[in-house]
Amino acid sequence: MTPPDAGARQNAAIDGDAAVRFIVNGRPAAVAASPLTRLAQVLRDDLGLTGTKIGCDAGDCGACTVLLDGRQVCACLTPMGQVEGRSVETVEGLRQDGTLSKLQQAFLAHGAAQCGICTPGMLMSASDLLRRTARPSRAEVLDAIGGTLCRCTGYQKIIDAVLAAATSAGVDSPPVGQAVGARAIRVDGIAKVAGTESYGADAIPHDALWLRVVRSPHAHARFALGDLEAVRRAHPGLEQILTARDVPFNGFGIYPDIKDQPVLADGIVRYRGEAVLALVGTREVVMRLADEVLPIVWTMLPPITGVDEARAPGAALVQDDRPGNLLMEGGVRCGDVEAALANAEAVAEIAVETPFVEHAYIEPEAGWARRVGDRLEIHVTTQTPYMDRDEVASVMRLKPQQVRIVPTACGGGFGGKLDLSVQPLVALAAWRLGRPVACIYTRPESMAATTKRHPARIQARFAATVGERLTACDVDAVFDTGAYASWGPTVANRVPVHAMGPYRVPNMRSRGAAYFTHNPPSGAFRGFGVPQAAIAHEAAMDALAEQLGVDRLEFRHRNALRVGDRTATGQVLHHSAGLAACLEALRPRWRDSLRHVAAFNAQARKAATHRRRGIGIGCMWYGIGNTSMSNPSTMRVGLGRDGTLTLYNGAVDIGQGSNTIMIQIAADALGLPMAQFRLVAGDTDRTADAGKTSASRQTFVSGKAAELAGADLRRQILRLANAGTNAALALDAAVLTVSDGETVRRIDLAALAADPDGNVLVGKGTFDPPTTPLDADGQGVPYATYAFAAQTAEVEVDLELGTTKVLRIVAAHDVGRAINPMQVEGQIEGGIAQGLGLALMEEYLPGRTENLHDYLIPTAGDMPLIETILIEDGEPLGPSGAKGVGEPGLVPTAPAILGAIAHATGVRLTRVPVLPHRLRAALQAKPGDRP
Amino acid sequence: MHTFILERPRDLAAALAFHAQAGRNDAPAEYIAGGTDMVQLLQEHVRRPERLVSLAGLLDGHIEAGPQGLRLGAAATMADVAVHPAVVEQFPVISEALLNSASPQVRNQATMGGNLLQRTRCPYFRDVGYAACNKRSPGSGCSAIDGENRWHAVVGTSDDCIAANPSDLAVALVALEAGVELRGAGGQRFVPLIDFHRLPGNTPHIESVLEPGEVIAAITVPASSTARRSHYLKVRDRASFEFAVVSAAVALDMDGGRIRAARVALGGVGTKPWRVPKVEAALAGGSLDPAVLRRAAALAAEGAQGRGHNDFKIELMQRAIVRAIETAGARA
Ligand SMILES: Cc1cc2nc3c(=O)[nH]c(=O)nc-3n(C[C@H](O)[C@H](O)[C@H](O)COP(=O)(O)OP(=O)(O)OC[C@H]3O[C@@H](n4cnc5c(N)ncnc54)[C@H](O)[C@@H]3O)c2cc1C
Ligand code: SF4
Ligand code: FES
Ligand code: FES
Repeated sequence: MTPPDAGARQNAAIDGDAAVRFIVNGRPAAVAASPLTRLAQVLRDDLGLTGTKIGCDAGDCGACTVLLDGRQVCACLTPMGQVEGRSVETVEGLRQDGTLSKLQQAFLAHGAAQCGICTPGMLMSASDLLRRTARPSRAEVLDAIGGTLCRCTGYQKIIDAVLAAATSAGVDSPPVGQAVGARAIRVDGIAKVAGTESYGADAIPHDALWLRVVRSPHAHARFALGDLEAVRRAHPGLEQILTARDVPFNGFGIYPDIKDQPVLADGIVRYRGEAVLALVGTREVVMRLADEVLPIVWTMLPPITGVDEARAPGAALVQDDRPGNLLMEGGVRCGDVEAALANAEAVAEIAVETPFVEHAYIEPEAGWARRVGDRLEIHVTTQTPYMDRDEVASVMRLKPQQVRIVPTACGGGFGGKLDLSVQPLVALAAWRLGRPVACIYTRPESMAATTKRHPARIQARFAATVGERLTACDVDAVFDTGAYASWGPTVANRVPVHAMGPYRVPNMRSRGAAYFTHNPPSGAFRGFGVPQAAIAHEAAMDALAEQLGVDRLEFRHRNALRVGDRTATGQVLHHSAGLAACLEALRPRWRDSLRHVAAFNAQARKAATHRRRGIGIGCMWYGIGNTSMSNPSTMRVGLGRDGTLTLYNGAVDIGQGSNTIMIQIAADALGLPMAQFRLVAGDTDRTADAGKTSASRQTFVSGKAAELAGADLRRQILRLANAGTNAALALDAAVLTVSDGETVRRIDLAALAADPDGNVLVGKGTFDPPTTPLDADGQGVPYATYAFAAQTAEVEVDLELGTTKVLRIVAAHDVGRAINPMQVEGQIEGGIAQGLGLALMEEYLPGRTENLHDYLIPTAGDMPLIETILIEDGEPLGPSGAKGVGEPGLVPTAPAILGAIAHATGVRLTRVPVLPHRLRAALQAKPGDRP
Repeated sequence: MHTFILERPRDLAAALAFHAQAGRNDAPAEYIAGGTDMVQLLQEHVRRPERLVSLAGLLDGHIEAGPQGLRLGAAATMADVAVHPAVVEQFPVISEALLNSASPQVRNQATMGGNLLQRTRCPYFRDVGYAACNKRSPGSGCSAIDGENRWHAVVGTSDDCIAANPSDLAVALVALEAGVELRGAGGQRFVPLIDFHRLPGNTPHIESVLEPGEVIAAITVPASSTARRSHYLKVRDRASFEFAVVSAAVALDMDGGRIRAARVALGGVGTKPWRVPKVEAALAGGSLDPAVLRRAAALAAEGAQGRGHNDFKIELMQRAIVRAIETAGARA
């Protein structure tokens, strides 16, 4: 895997870099560059216009979109030779005299930027359209942004923002005490729409050395290294070639007792894309050096390509100390499944198969490190600064306090930025060389080397009896965990707990097992295996409803877990179980849609056309936070001597909006307006550990901590002012006013003693959701609370061509309390887009789909209209009653779509994605179907 | 190491003198136009020419429509051609094929000439990590025949290569019996587009009849009785920004409910843009009755050979033909 830009850069040296003259954002520019150097590189590296992002460097994502003579082009595909004498506009040019354009304001007001990495490109694509058509139609918007991918938003809010651009007005920040529940704009939003937000690749020091990872082209091979020192000497500018030997402790992994993944492979590689060497030197030289030049002698070995091979008797071992290639098994047992099956009125048997799915965040992994005395400082795009700190310390054999992680803005994570990527490599190189060292993964590298969603094979049997009651569930889920453990144990544990779905099932047996193969490591991906399991339980619900002759929604409603019910792990739900309410909210639309669909299909049959519509439904539940494990979070709110109010927030905002939500919560708990808050986010030297941004836990766990911290500071202030609990606060510069009825006290903050951060008072809050360990039968309290949701999907299938278009999705989610309804909708819409991808198009084939044109994620045109209904069945433990929503959005979507396809066609597909050829094959296999 | 020299000649004659040749991986010199494909191929080391000759500013980019038909300068962009009023009204299949291609960004930059000569999307061809690819390195074998070949061709294949030609535009153009004007050091010649791309045979690395030094100067589309009632149907795995799994370009001359003449070509299934004359002949004189259309479309499958993952295309392409004709036939 030689770096992609080797050829083009090579040329730069040869052609003699004559100056290319052009106009950028209205000003003349002249840059010495080869005519083949690409515009994206010149904008970012030579002109410092890092608002133009690079997501793929191949024309496949649109993150680099700029206007060339007023028309949108990919800066990554535009050679400088074509730019000569022409006018280029970038996102930085949209803001005039510091004022955001109407389009930018509309993006803010509609929540169109989540992680924001696609936002500059989106803005430029939309600008091209809006200059030609001030009030475009929805179809025109879809066309204009059709070449710009977003992985976070599901496009809905982007489309709304573009449509509203002509009329957009600013949004006021919510007043005191009304932040929770407000559609507040993102506290970090302006930087995202202005293009000034700094992501992993955006603020690399000019003197940084570059690091490039040499990766295995083979899935399984032994290798020997020749004379690397000779290579180094032959290439001036190449400072070091790092190998396994240079890594102080060459193993990392999510679990404290499973550090099985080497930073650099040691004589053996276990998947294509595994890191073998790290070249460190000038950017030119490390990017130019081709892999062929390196003396690596490979001995290929036969790879284990899937779980069947991995489980076969006598199979070779992927890791020597893992008999049977088994990473881990988990399970839940309660009641008597066999008896219940024997007495059942109806039994559904389902077999589900899902592939590897790639996170496909638009920002590839990137970061840089420097050594500061005996400490390391790492600036990196990540979901988990504290775990990164501890892992880097472990790899480097340093103390955790010797490592500082400073998270950059994160251009999407979805679970994929929970594992280490560039961190240990740049740390090691910077430590050894005493110079800053940077690394940016290329798109193919990001896709080949980093984790994926676990491919699953699920066998399920569900039984129901008279009265349409579910009686038993028997689920066996097998996962391909790839070459290294990563989050495999989490998936193997979480799935058995969720396997029966959000239903009351008295007798249950579930098993989850993860096996090693020579595939890329499977890790965390929005839902940790639950989306795969939901395909099985929801197919079973449809089948049982059909056998029993009852409506699919009503069957689910009858069996929905409610307050007072016992889950399969024996946990009694005491509060906040809003599935029935979700289904009730969907019911009228469901009935309407059933009628519309029937009418459409009757008409289609009469006219002998080949389109059929169908409607499907999917339900889910999802335990918030880590499974049966402590996962505390601590937040602090500081009141400065100078009157600044700071939230020290260790929870990383990866686009989902936690920065904004934490401030909304803390502001109301404290009783000051959110607009007065400043934010310190993620920096492990300045914040407290808030745990990982995963498992939908930040709103619930860190949100609670923020609420406690705000309340704590309020208590301290009231005590200082000797005021009652209802006193009103006001902060004006360094004067804090406390008004308690008639009594008004002014506190001069500047007169108080401050801590080293400049704070005179610091409120602190810690929350750790109460859980208990699971026993041998999987009995216990794995999660403190659960999110519930139901979605319906309406599809149109072309029977002859096998294509499926999702027309509409209605999503009802019990979120406890929507702290920020706009952001909650954004999470749900974005989740739906990923669920749609899972159902219809996403399939990662190791070695064949390592880019964003062979690996497909939904474009704007693929998305249906989405209607979101928020159910607020408050969770007393959560902040203002809130639970989590990060992952739930995606879980019911694929089941609903698959159900809708079945409704439309009469064939139930349980292998995803449902690509046209699979649907056609299923239709042909259907008895009685015409050819 | 693959270093190359970039030439930016002042006029076309100078450009032709470099004897560059597109669509041949072993050609020492090659052209670059819009660069949307070429930059990628260079970056990924798929193409390693010694010399790259820029055509920027050297070729005609005009779009002309007249009683004879349409003339598209090789430098015209996909975006400009797609929305040109004469194209939209008189040759809708071209406009539809283009609007269903790539992304708005790419269409703003990519040229007609480059589109016809873009290289296959076979993932093994585009990933030098796979040693075996006869198209990239003659004689090295083919990774796709026994590999992941869902994307690959079922007609026009050989035992040496089954890569599909990815151009949507070319499919529409062969249906309209378009031709290309080639300009070389020795002068100008005209080649019907159907004869322009070569079958892989045992030389899959030679993709067109272009001689060293030759360029496409223009595309000509004759006026015809069928062009106005034409349609491009593209079946793909997502709504936009994706190559065809299977596509069909059809053009009809209707006499009331009867087809007087039909032109049909397929994309995503052929190693070159694939016209199906037998289907056309079977359609002529017939009605739009679905059974009739299906019988005619079945002739497209003659000689088709699946390789496992792409077997489904043989049936799907017939259905695509039927659907495209139904759609075009229903048009006023
Ligand atoms: C993300 C993406 C998606 C795409 N999707 C589609 C799609 O759905 N459908 C589709 O049809 N295409 C698609 N394409 C391909 C795109 O249409 C081509 O890249 C483009 O048309 C090439 O034109 P260009 O001017 O940029 O050519 P270049 O990249 O400059 O050149 C391509 C080749 O043509 C040769 N060449 C160019 N002009 C001439 C000439 N006048 N004479 C002789 N040789 C010449 C060059 O030597 C080179 O070999 C996609 C491309 C990208 C990047
Ligand atoms: S199909 Fe053709 S292009 Fe693809 S690997 Fe085989 S020879 Fe190469
Ligand atoms: S970075 Fe240019 S299109 Fe992805
Ligand atoms: S907001 Fe679009 S990719 Fe994150």
